[in-house]
Amino acid sequence: MKIELIVSGCCPFCLEAEKVWRAAAADHGCEFSVMDISRAEGAALAQRLKLQTVPALLIDGTLRAVGVQTPEEALTLLQPQRQEAHDRMQQMGLGFSPDNRWFILAAQAYLMLAGLGLLMNGSFLSDDAARPAFLHLFTLGFMLFMIYGLASHMLPRFTGNPIREGAWSWLQMGLAHGGVIGYAVGYLAGWPTLIVVGAVLAWLSLAVFAYRVWPVLWPTAS
Amino acid sequence: MHKRNRLFVSIALVYGLLGGLIAIVRLIDPSLIPGNVPRAHGHIMLLGFILMMIYGIALHVLPRFGGFPLYSEPMADWQLYCANAGLPLMIAGWLGWRDMLVMAGGVLTYGAIVLFGLNMILTVRTKSRTLPVQ
Ligand code: HEM
Ligand code: HEM
Repeated sequence: MKIELIVSGCCPFCLEAEKVWRAAAADHGCEFSVMDISRAEGAALAQRLKLQTVPALLIDGTLRAVGVQTPEEALTLLQPQRQEAHDRMQQMGLGFSPDNRWFILAAQAYLMLAGLGLLMNGSFLSDDAARPAFLHLFTLGFMLFMIYGLASHMLPRFTGNPIREGAWSWLQMGLAHGGVIGYAVGYLAGWPTLIVVGAVLAWLSLAVFAYRVWPVLWPTAS
Repeated sequence: MHKRNRLFVSIALVYGLLGGLIAIVRLIDPSLIPGNVPRAHGHIMLLGFILMMIYGIALHVLPRFGGFPLYSEPMADWQLYCANAGLPLMIAGWLGWRDMLVMAGGVLTYGAIVLFGLNMILTVRTKSRTLPVQ
């Protein structure tokens, strides 16, 4: 955050304002500069802002106040910027990467599909031949995808070791989608071969996931 | 991350692969593995993969989110032992049609669940020790 004060060398109020803002800037780790309107740079800025009075205060380039502020008023003026900086810190490094975003999003889609099984059969554990379809839309589609997204996001942050990313995550995702869809459609349509293909693809996605996560947990062993 | 918690996550991965594998084998030829394979598969996945993954991650992150250290490290260690002694017994019981083994394994598995539940209740608590940042 940048604080600029426009002053006129000979005005006592300006000295007062400079004291308040220099202290506030130091307290909150902001950049602070003072510009005199008797200098070319200061004069140009005053003209651009159509300033009538000094001292005038700019925060991040925007005119925010004129006159002398008390330290309490200074704090109030800085509040929105401080909040924003705080929010940015909270976000930093915590946001999902695109692959994990897609895992989480897909999990919700599968959850809604699995829920259809509840509407149609009254239970995930219905007694008909297609029982494993909706059950695995929930377990493979929702639970597994949630774990894929959350564990790949959190574990590297817990241990400080990098996870295998890039092509590996997308391969894992492709295999998992192929797996759940193949498996569920296989049961619903009664195609045994498709069931097995889906089962194998789902298992391979799990194997890729394990391969990605292992060095996060045991860095020297890999 | 505590070694025990990394073990939980690693063991979860192994159970996930194992549970998927026996399901695939059963799909290809149901006579290859004896016993109640779907039931064993279901519980390897749910108790072995999902729950152990949750154990490992929750034991690490819930104390941090809650603002208190883990109430008891030994409880969490015993949770690891019980969970991993119980599940193999349950699987052996289902695959060998021995209900007593399922029962014995179930008691151990349930013991792990209780150890985890109490440890977490005593760790997270209802109020944080630290005030939220102003
Ligand atoms: C590699 C991925 C997986 C494959 C190939 C697979 C395959 C199967 C098969 C073939 C069955 C038996 C269906 C039947 O004939 O009744 C089954 C049942 C089941 N699966 Fe999976 N599955 C996978 C992943 C999962 C996961 C991740 C979970 C849980 C988180 C899960 C939970 C269950 C449950 C609860 C049952 C029902 C067990 C019972 O009937 O007692 N599966 N699965
Ligand atoms: C102490 C741990 C557990 C023990 C001892 C246990 C034991 C059993 C037993 C004996 C059955 C057979 C019931 C029957 O024949 O009707 C069963 C079924 C089942 N269990 Fe568990 N279980 C445990 C934990 C869990 C957990 C944590 C889940 C899910 C997250 C789960 C999901 C299921 C499912 C989906 C079935 C199949 C129900 C059906 O076919 O209708 N179990 N369990």
